[in-house]
Amino acid sequence: MGLSALLLLALCAASSRALYFHIGETEKRCFIEEIPDETMVIGNYRTQMWDKQKEVFLPSTPGLGMHVEVKDPDGKVVLSRQYGSEGRFTFTSHTPGDHQICLHSNSTKMTLFAGGRLRVHLDIQVGEHANNYPEIAAKDKLTELQLRARQLLDQVEQIQKEQDYQRYREERFRLTSESTNQRVLWWSIAQTVILILTGIWQMRHLKSFFEAKKLV
Amino acid sequence: MGDKVWLPFPVLLLAAVPPVLLPGAASFTPSLDSDFTFTLPAGQKECFYQPMPLKASLEIEYQVLDGAGLDIDFHLASPEGKTLVFEQRKSDGVHTVETEVGDYMFCFDNTFSTISEKVIFFELILDNMGEQEQEQEDWKKYITGTDMLDMKLEDILESINSIKSRLSKSGHIQTLLRAFEARDRNIQESNFDRVNFWSMVNLVVMVVVSAIQVYMLKNLFEDKRKSRT
Repeated sequence: MGLSALLLLALCAASSRALYFHIGETEKRCFIEEIPDETMVIGNYRTQMWDKQKEVFLPSTPGLGMHVEVKDPDGKVVLSRQYGSEGRFTFTSHTPGDHQICLHSNSTKMTLFAGGRLRVHLDIQVGEHANNYPEIAAKDKLTELQLRARQLLDQVEQIQKEQDYQRYREERFRLTSESTNQRVLWWSIAQTVILILTGIWQMRHLKSFFEAKKLV
Repeated sequence: MGDKVWLPFPVLLLAAVPPVLLPGAASFTPSLDSDFTFTLPAGQKECFYQPMPLKASLEIEYQVLDGAGLDIDFHLASPEGKTLVFEQRKSDGVHTVETEVGDYMFCFDNTFSTISEKVIFFELILDNMGEQEQEQEDWKKYITGTDMLDMKLEDILESINSIKSRLSKSGHIQTLLRAFEARDRNIQESNFDRVNFWSMVNLVVMVVVSAIQVYMLKNLFEDKRKSRT
């Protein structure tokens, strides 16, 4: 029993080590994750509300929820859900590219945080960092060596996926560069030709005009 | 049975939960390395805080990926509020600090820009946090069976650890390369848009100017004729 209490304490202490930031009531914070396809992303967050009277952040806030919205590179919404004041969201990417993860509080009552400050602890894990190895060990009944080998395999697989995605991005980059190069060339040639043609037209038109007006 | 009565309810609940599910449930154990990419609108400043223990090492690396001049102001403050790093209009930077207990604050400032929003990527690498040993200890609780080799197991585990740390380094370098590539690609795409737009403008301006020139000259002569007669 003492062990459970210690473990609970350890978990709470560990969770207070995450990066945190402050947001206002109607404010929306978005983070961009550029990931290859078939990659799992797990986000953990914890919110604390500012108590104006005690001038501290309350450890937990019942009744406060956060709305999490995830959009894929094409702008389509992959995940749009409301969670409690402490939550965990997961999604798997199906197209490679920039996924946008947006968080905002669902508070509609102005009195909920009149001070306007909400502290959000956030941790986003991508790919093999999202795997829970103790859980995998228990589920597949692995020895320690097997578990470590499994972790290395997952790490290498993630690196390989990133490399494939890198190749795809480099190709897109190269196509844009070459297209820009071509366009610069063609526009310059077109400009010169148009300039010459316009000059010729101007001179001819004016000459015929002057001749018509009997000045030349 | 009787001595369980005095325990608070959450601890009782925790004791009831099978130990296997514990690491994933309730509060989360954040990893030691994290990276974030976000958009900073024009004229705004955003700050992040990272709690640190004593004598750990905090490395922060940031890069501006998109947005006009590709520069941002960066500010890193210790838990007491003392400014450790203050950089202005830089496009990327790396800083390592040896930490004391408390919340370190770092801010990205885009107030100098009135119209362009910036996309900023930053990566936090934490070392000596004192939790890694705990993580490895926890695994011993969840494995089943023992490996047949006993004497050489330590050597194998050591080499596996070294492979793991090298792969982490590879992963880090990949993240960095990805940020560089994203920035270069954004530059290229904005070049592309610029070339298209200004070429079109150039063409239109040329044609319009030549038409106006001809029209005005014609007008000049027409009026003279009229005034004569």
